[in-house]
Amino acid sequence: MPSRQSIYCVASAGALFALSACASVSLKEASPAPAPVPTAAPAPPPPAWAQGRSDSMADSQLAPHAPVLTVTAHEKIAIDRIRVPPGFKVEVWASGAPGARMMTRADNGTVFAGTRAIGRVYAITETSGRREVKVFASGLTQPNGVAFKNGSLYVAAINQVFRYDNVEKLLDAYSSKSAHPVDMTPAFNLPTYQHHGWKFLAVGPDNKLYIPIGAPCNICEPPATNAQIRRYNLDGTGMEVVALGVRNSVGFDFHPQTGELWFTDNGRDWAGDEGPQDELNRVSKARENFGFPYCHALGIGDQDIKKANPCEGVTLPVVLMGPHVAALGMRFYTGDMFPPEYKNNIFVARHGSWNRTRKSGYDVVFVSVSPDGRNAQVTPFMTGFLDTSTNTFWGRPADVMQMPDGSMLVSDEQNGAIYRVSYSQ
Amino acid sequence: MRATFASLALVCSAALAQGGSPERAAKTIEICSACHGQDGNAAVSSTPSLAAQPETFLVSQMILFREGLRQVPQMASVFAKTSEQDLLDLAAYFSKQPLKPNPGVRDATLYDKGAALSKRGSCGGCHLADYRGREQIPRLAGQREDYLASTMIAYRDNKRSGTDTTMAGILYGISDPEIRALAHYLAHQR
Repeated sequence: MPSRQSIYCVASAGALFALSACASVSLKEASPAPAPVPTAAPAPPPPAWAQGRSDSMADSQLAPHAPVLTVTAHEKIAIDRIRVPPGFKVEVWASGAPGARMMTRADNGTVFAGTRAIGRVYAITETSGRREVKVFASGLTQPNGVAFKNGSLYVAAINQVFRYDNVEKLLDAYSSKSAHPVDMTPAFNLPTYQHHGWKFLAVGPDNKLYIPIGAPCNICEPPATNAQIRRYNLDGTGMEVVALGVRNSVGFDFHPQTGELWFTDNGRDWAGDEGPQDELNRVSKARENFGFPYCHALGIGDQDIKKANPCEGVTLPVVLMGPHVAALGMRFYTGDMFPPEYKNNIFVARHGSWNRTRKSGYDVVFVSVSPDGRNAQVTPFMTGFLDTSTNTFWGRPADVMQMPDGSMLVSDEQNGAIYRVSYSQ
Repeated sequence: MRATFASLALVCSAALAQGGSPERAAKTIEICSACHGQDGNAAVSSTPSLAAQPETFLVSQMILFREGLRQVPQMASVFAKTSEQDLLDLAAYFSKQPLKPNPGVRDATLYDKGAALSKRGSCGGCHLADYRGREQIPRLAGQREDYLASTMIAYRDNKRSGTDTTMAGILYGISDPEIRALAHYLAHQR
């Protein structure tokens, strides 16, 4: 495990305890006696989301939004406010799943959805036309990542991985805790940092499990184990680092023609309303460097963590996704239901900003782009969750997933709902 | 006209389904009152006052207890059979009770040290300048001093997390005397 001291913090004068703590120098300045180390406690968490906050923003009251942990009734969901292009239709596909985020679909049609704060994984089943939301797993630490392969569901919580074999057959047994998953945590041996430790999961065309390891801070020199995307054999062996300099990716997919990994990455906070923007990236060779913490967006050197030629050797994004928008789940569309221009192009859920005076995101955008990453264009697709006139929001898209019939599911963490987007001429 | 009625009906049914009702909470209040006080002002040591806490904060904490994500022996299984509507009603009730702080004698040295620490930690950035809290972020002003201290120690030592891991990060490395000063200062806010 990397030592805590390997994280060099931003020495901001408006120092938080977190800052002074991880750069133990400034803590000593504050108090001549060494700080007592908590006894028998697990490794302390890393500095959090407020790192790198400049003096000019010391009085800012921007803070992450409250998660909604209670059920939002179906009739309370303002489906009529959602806007999609002509010919598309949106309906509430499932509700009553507080905090639903990342989705995967099993062979027989069960849709699983991970969460963060509420610690649950939902299973949404359909029997004789009746759809039902079940609490499949609970009490986990931010089980955001879900992926299905060979009859097994993989769930990634913060730095933990579980495998539920024969998951659709044993659904009720797992739900009632009379059957238990295989704890794969030792095999994957993930770093223990909490911040940005929630995971996205996907199985690639190479049959390997891809896992992002976020930077344990807003902005810092990350430990060598972090700010990267890894892949493993399904049993947790054979770890390889696929991409470096990745601040916090919570969404990726594989190009349907080239098989290459494409991923979203969230830009740093507290560097102003306009950026640095979130990114859509393409990995064309192993261990490619995407810039964090020195180089952001289309070649912006960091204001706090500096080095000469910060963007040298850095792969710049395919396209920018907007400032602070929290571009999360993304999928290539390969179905036949939507018009042909959508095929092999990308939908991205933008969860919506917190570190921005004027809120942005809170939508699903469409990115048309060549397989080699050129000619990228971002256009709004599913909007209406954000009211710019009042600077308020009512929904937060977190993930998108294509269904076998070519329709698309969109999870809304704020309302604990999943929408179905379909198209007919 | 019809549209007006329709939207009115929608608002009412939504309120029934979603909102908490302080009046309705009356029948469930005894679950809480023995320790937290009938009016949410706790007289029992190390027990938080719930009065004037943000409604969202109260709901979130009850859900965390229910889900086993926040563990306190006295609270174990309290909410196992409580309906979500009851939780919402309880939160609505306690959030609307006036807080009656009873912080005891103020120690000027400790108070000033706590004030400086709060400034250094930007506590008011999230909890607001008067520490009244908002949304998922609790009120600190006027809370019981012993509870504030034990809570900060629990966060620092990774014995507790909220709806996110923010507090563990903010308090990492802070000393016990510093926590005592912060708790003293915050308990004396109004």
